[in-house]
Amino acid sequence: MKLNIDGLLVYFPYDYIYPEQYSYMLELKRTLDAKGHGVLEMPSGTGKTISLLSLIVAYQKAYPLEVTKLVYCSRTVPEIEKVVEELRKLMDYYTKQTGAKNDFLALALSSRKNLCIHPEVSSLRFGKEVDGKCHSLTASYIRAQHHSNPSQPVCQFYEEFDSVGRQVPISPGIYNLDDLKDLGRRKGWCPYFLARYAILHANIVVYSYHYLLDPKIADVVSKELAKKSVVVFDEAHNIDNVCIDSMSVNITRRTLDRCQTNVETLQNTISKIKETDAAKLREEYRRLVEGLKEANVARETDIYLSNPVLPDEILQEAVPGSIRTAEHFVGFMKRFLEYLKARLRIHHVVQESAPQFLKDIFEKVCIDRKPLRFCAERLRSLLRTLEIADIADFSAITLISHFATLVSTYSKGFTIIIEPFEDKTPTIANPVLHFSCMDPSIAIKPVFGRFQSVIITSGTLSPLDIYPRILDFRPVTVASFTMTLARTCLCPLIVGRGNDQVAMTSKFETREDFAVIRNYGNLLLEMSAVVPDGIVAFFTSYIYMENIVASWYEQGILENIQRNKLIFIETQDAAETSMALEKYQEACENGRGAILLSVARGKVSEGIDFVHHFGRAVIMFGVPYVYTQSRILKARLEYLREQFQIRENDFLTFDAMRHAAQCVGRVIRGKTDYGLMIFADKVSKLFGKKHANFSLSFNCYFSPQRYARADKRGKLPRWIQEHLTDGSLNLTIDETVQLSKHFLRQMAQPFRQEDQLGLSLLTLEQLQSEDMLQKIAQIAHQA
Amino acid sequence: MDEEPERTKRWEGGYERTWEVLKEDESGSLKATVEDILFQAKRKRVFESHGQVRLGMMRHLFVIIDSSRSMEDQDLKPNRLTSTLKLMEYFVEEYFDQNPISQIGIIATKNKRAEKLTDLAGNPKKHIAALKKAVDSTCVGEPSLYNSLNVAMQTLKHMPAHTSKEILVIFSSLTTCDPANIYELIKTLNGLKIRVSVIGLSAEVRVCTILTRETGGTYNVILDESHFKELLMQHVKPPPASSSSECSLIRMGFPQHVIASMSDQDAKPSFSMSHLDSTGEPVLSLGGFYCPQCRAKYTELPVECKVCGLTLVSAPHLARSFHHLFPLEAFQENSLEEYKGERFCEACQGELKDKSVFTCLACKKVFCVECDLFIHDTLHSCPGCMQTDGRS
Repeated sequence: MKLNIDGLLVYFPYDYIYPEQYSYMLELKRTLDAKGHGVLEMPSGTGKTISLLSLIVAYQKAYPLEVTKLVYCSRTVPEIEKVVEELRKLMDYYTKQTGAKNDFLALALSSRKNLCIHPEVSSLRFGKEVDGKCHSLTASYIRAQHHSNPSQPVCQFYEEFDSVGRQVPISPGIYNLDDLKDLGRRKGWCPYFLARYAILHANIVVYSYHYLLDPKIADVVSKELAKKSVVVFDEAHNIDNVCIDSMSVNITRRTLDRCQTNVETLQNTISKIKETDAAKLREEYRRLVEGLKEANVARETDIYLSNPVLPDEILQEAVPGSIRTAEHFVGFMKRFLEYLKARLRIHHVVQESAPQFLKDIFEKVCIDRKPLRFCAERLRSLLRTLEIADIADFSAITLISHFATLVSTYSKGFTIIIEPFEDKTPTIANPVLHFSCMDPSIAIKPVFGRFQSVIITSGTLSPLDIYPRILDFRPVTVASFTMTLARTCLCPLIVGRGNDQVAMTSKFETREDFAVIRNYGNLLLEMSAVVPDGIVAFFTSYIYMENIVASWYEQGILENIQRNKLIFIETQDAAETSMALEKYQEACENGRGAILLSVARGKVSEGIDFVHHFGRAVIMFGVPYVYTQSRILKARLEYLREQFQIRENDFLTFDAMRHAAQCVGRVIRGKTDYGLMIFADKVSKLFGKKHANFSLSFNCYFSPQRYARADKRGKLPRWIQEHLTDGSLNLTIDETVQLSKHFLRQMAQPFRQEDQLGLSLLTLEQLQSEDMLQKIAQIAHQA
Repeated sequence: MDEEPERTKRWEGGYERTWEVLKEDESGSLKATVEDILFQAKRKRVFESHGQVRLGMMRHLFVIIDSSRSMEDQDLKPNRLTSTLKLMEYFVEEYFDQNPISQIGIIATKNKRAEKLTDLAGNPKKHIAALKKAVDSTCVGEPSLYNSLNVAMQTLKHMPAHTSKEILVIFSSLTTCDPANIYELIKTLNGLKIRVSVIGLSAEVRVCTILTRETGGTYNVILDESHFKELLMQHVKPPPASSSSECSLIRMGFPQHVIASMSDQDAKPSFSMSHLDSTGEPVLSLGGFYCPQCRAKYTELPVECKVCGLTLVSAPHLARSFHHLFPLEAFQENSLEEYKGERFCEACQGELKDKSVFTCLACKKVFCVECDLFIHDTLHSCPGCMQTDGRS
């Protein structure tokens, strides 16, 4: 259907539209008009992707000079593929409606592992191996050697692409990963490099977060994207963690050992080259004197090493004299390495800031700040000069050089923690140096700075105001949309007590409490008897799950549950988990029924959807707080408090709630789906604003401190909160079972599309009616 | 083993949250719509049955009753099993009332096994007796959908092609214990044109959805006892015959009831043939129905003659199923606001309060929803029209 969104003609490839989609597009349009950033929350299963694509594509077509490119970032390869399929549908619709031939180029980009068509290289299993192997076939000097010595193997696909591919622009169309591979095979071009080259002039690029957020990759792939691009981060509820991870470095003793070998190899190579080709080293020296700017101009395949956001002014400067010659630099690295080794030889935990670390290193081994800053760049240059083919081997020394550069560049936002052993195994020495980023805004800053519009969107972003704060940007639109439903197809329940009135909680002190574990077991047992097909249960951690399951086994609860449903368990082993998942789905399919026990923050909670019968109920045992005793977390909390005035508890609750919401959101994947969401914890204060008074008066009696701030905002997404009534708070197991039975019977009644029409599903005529437009205006909730 | 506490008291069982029904719905149209949808479904049923469709009048129906552990649940009073069996008794009577030339059989499944309570037969008494006996049985273990469907299929597949072959499953459990892949069985059932319908007592189970969708049956889940009864009664009406089922002429006998008095010297007491397979004591009787073909005697109709295999029915029986062929036309639905006449239902004389009224197209009399349903489900003729007919 053709829509008029605030004066913009938008083609929407379906006959029906959800009211919230319309509202979403309105907000999106406003954001693009203002050339600003936006934070938009809309529940999963309501067609976020297609709304985003339809509007932005329409915008691009209407104002080709205002928005030149859409960069769509998703998290996993299947998600990327899904986006491309939606896009294909949209483009087909355009062609059908306008009759004009499609002149849009859209493509997906993924790692070499997913795109390589070289027969030998693509058979390798790990991404790192593929990258390394590919590099050893395509690096510029290898190809130069190939010219003089044809026996030196090169990748024929890359050669072909390099000689013709750049001149011939890729024809407009929609390319997913397989399409790219097909095209590559047909033409004999390397799909990976083709895609990387094509994103420069593509209208739409779909790829993973890391290509934009991880400075090491972004520098190579996304550097030349136009400023007038619109960047979308889908499923962005974890974006701060992605940012932090991309900037953090962990150094173990193993890393240092491997680094040691790296340094030795370097030294040997240098001395060898010195004998044969001293001119090369001299040439490099000259280059370094002139400055790094030139060093930057290298062929695209020379991705030796990466460059963590180096401020531009460093690139202007020349490399300091002390590390300019190759031997001096290796000597310098050796000294640095020895220093790190010495630091790891400790028996107590050390936590210090970056300036403290620099001061200490200056006192102990006389290493200055300035050469440290150039470490990464210098190593990069050296490796290029030495023509070492397999860069995979040098990951250790690369890591160390990154660390050196980062620690000397940023005096704020990072912390260094050296732990002599893990908390769980205090007797085994396993020293780790965590150089941990505490400020996600560092990694994402270039993105916000560079592109005119950045949209952050997900099903669970509540509370919305926290993201702009921790990512340090100023959005023009912040909105949360609810799901309009013809029937209440989600049923959140908060179970606070067992039938024996013992409060259920996963609070650390009461974890081992026998009564709590038994009550959790009873809850699962009772639910397994009333919920059909699949139930997914989430625990707060693997250890907690193991303890509880062992305890249930002893109490005979497991045996009773197995009469109703089979039990499957997620483990840390990926292969085992996917096997369990497969069997779980089979059991749901043929009527035996199954329960999947899994862990919040685990693989299942993030990436796997339980549509329809695969998940009729999800049970959260406890609130998935992060492990609060971790020093890294403590440091981050402290930083958040000092820098952004976010209280520790606020952040912890926010983090726990977004994971809880993410977990329970797994079961509702659309409007025809339905499911129970059961939170088994008495901390009901977290679940809503309007019930605050109720829980306050009720709970004060038990523990005034814990509930003193009960009036704070509910941290769950609005689309879940609005279905929480007073009647679904602080229930006993019995009450829960009754409510569930009632709900499931209601939902089992026949439900056809006509029932939705006009309420939660609109035709074009219905959409244009006056009062519907008014209703839609209410859907968007400005935070 | 933890022991389930005996739940004998009513107040320990389900909470009947009657106040929720009355609760003002502030969030808009949410809760009301579910009821709306149900109301629509009710009406739809009336409409559906009124097309000029061929119906499978000769039905062979197997009812599979889940007797597993979950039937002990007390959300139906006094428990699911007793409530189900009670309704089944009523169902069997209704079934034979509406489908005099059809047969029924009952299978119970528990403890992973399926057990035939009664074989396919056209005599309601035997079935009801079996149902009465089943009340005392204990509910143990899991049901097996596969086994029970298999048992039913073994008998049904030998039935002639012109009959309607059906299975109705009353499924309380949410799990089934199957010895083999049930999807294979579903394919076979589909091939044999056996229609499987399911009434769920607790919630929607995926495998039942597939089962009914593939075999062309219906799948419903009950809300409460009255809804259960309603759903069960839907299965009383013969289903539309599949277009591929054959047509054939069926020989039938219409035996006359011969009443012999004791004073009659010629009358000799004799046994009824239907006693042959019953376990009860054979009873001598004087009168009865005599098969017009072989003169075998039966005390009850309808029955299939044990000797010559002729179907024996009485004329009123056939006449009763006649209305399926010429159903009463659906009444026209109008909203109450539009209706300008007197606000009384023609049938029950009650005030019209629902949001819509129903008008008979022939006599233009108006009726309320309940009466509309009653007229179409039970009376099969419009009281308004009868009145005018009588006068003219």
